[in-house]
Amino acid sequence: MRSITKLSLAVAAVVLTGTALQAQTNNASITATASVQTPINVLGAQQLSFGNVFPGVNKTVNATDLTNGGRFDVSGQASTPVTLSFTLPATLSSAGNTMPIVSYTGVHAALATQVGGVAFSPAAGATPSLSGLGALFVWVGAQVQPATNQAAGVYTGSIVMTVVY
Amino acid sequence: MKRESWIVTLVMLLGVPLLAQGKPLTVTGIRGVTFGAVLPGVPRVVLRTDPANSGQFDIKGPKGGPMLLSFVLPLSMSGPGGALLPIVFGSSDAGFSPTQSIGSQVGFDPKQPTTVTFPNNGSASVFVGATANPAANQRAGAYTATIILTVTVLP
Repeated sequence: MRSITKLSLAVAAVVLTGTALQAQTNNASITATASVQTPINVLGAQQLSFGNVFPGVNKTVNATDLTNGGRFDVSGQASTPVTLSFTLPATLSSAGNTMPIVSYTGVHAALATQVGGVAFSPAAGATPSLSGLGALFVWVGAQVQPATNQAAGVYTGSIVMTVVY
Repeated sequence: MKRESWIVTLVMLLGVPLLAQGKPLTVTGIRGVTFGAVLPGVPRVVLRTDPANSGQFDIKGPKGGPMLLSFVLPLSMSGPGGALLPIVFGSSDAGFSPTQSIGSQVGFDPKQPTTVTFPNNGSASVFVGATANPAANQRAGAYTATIILTVTVLP
């Protein structure tokens, strides 16, 4: 009987060992992939230039003015929509003096010649697409309103355009 | 004593086929996590329920019982010139499906080892989603990383 008990223990040990051996591990892998497109590049290509301004005489530069309108050149992923937003100054400054700048206008086009351009309000922003070559040109115009007693000098302000996908 | 030795030997021999009754555990990578075209500065999310872009592992093994799922997850994908693209796994970006259906998953955190109950038919799937977070000046090009799933059959 004692032999049978020993035998039972031995059998139990074998079975338990067998159970423990049943624990299995395996693994596999997969790949995560992404194709990052061309980053956006923005260049302030041309200043918005009002030239000579006389006290009491408003002066306007249209966005369609290829010579004096401000221009930004954008490059990025071809045929991809982007969002344009602007920080627009309310005044130009010169040695502590200011001069109002108002009525901003904008045009965006796929070509630097502005052919096929689309007018927009810089204050509201725009959502054009980059061209098939990944290009976009943006022009900005505005009006300055010098007071009748506007101090003489060179007035400047910064227009900032932000472009995101 | 001789008779007892025979009995033990017999039990051991029987033990082998008894162990073999359990289906061997296999884990297979079926589909990778595909972010596709990613724009600099724009996060790209792939849901674990996305039938085309989510990652998928198929598991075959012993019928029923608990299994431990654990991942080795990358922090970033590697790209051109050693550029890195961060990849993030949310707390419910992995899903276990005892029916191998992408439409019937139980979400879990792939960053934590998770115990699941394996179905009686011996087959299940694990789906994975993630988020790629490209910087605004992320270098253009192809990026890749490896996701590893380890499955352990618990006793």
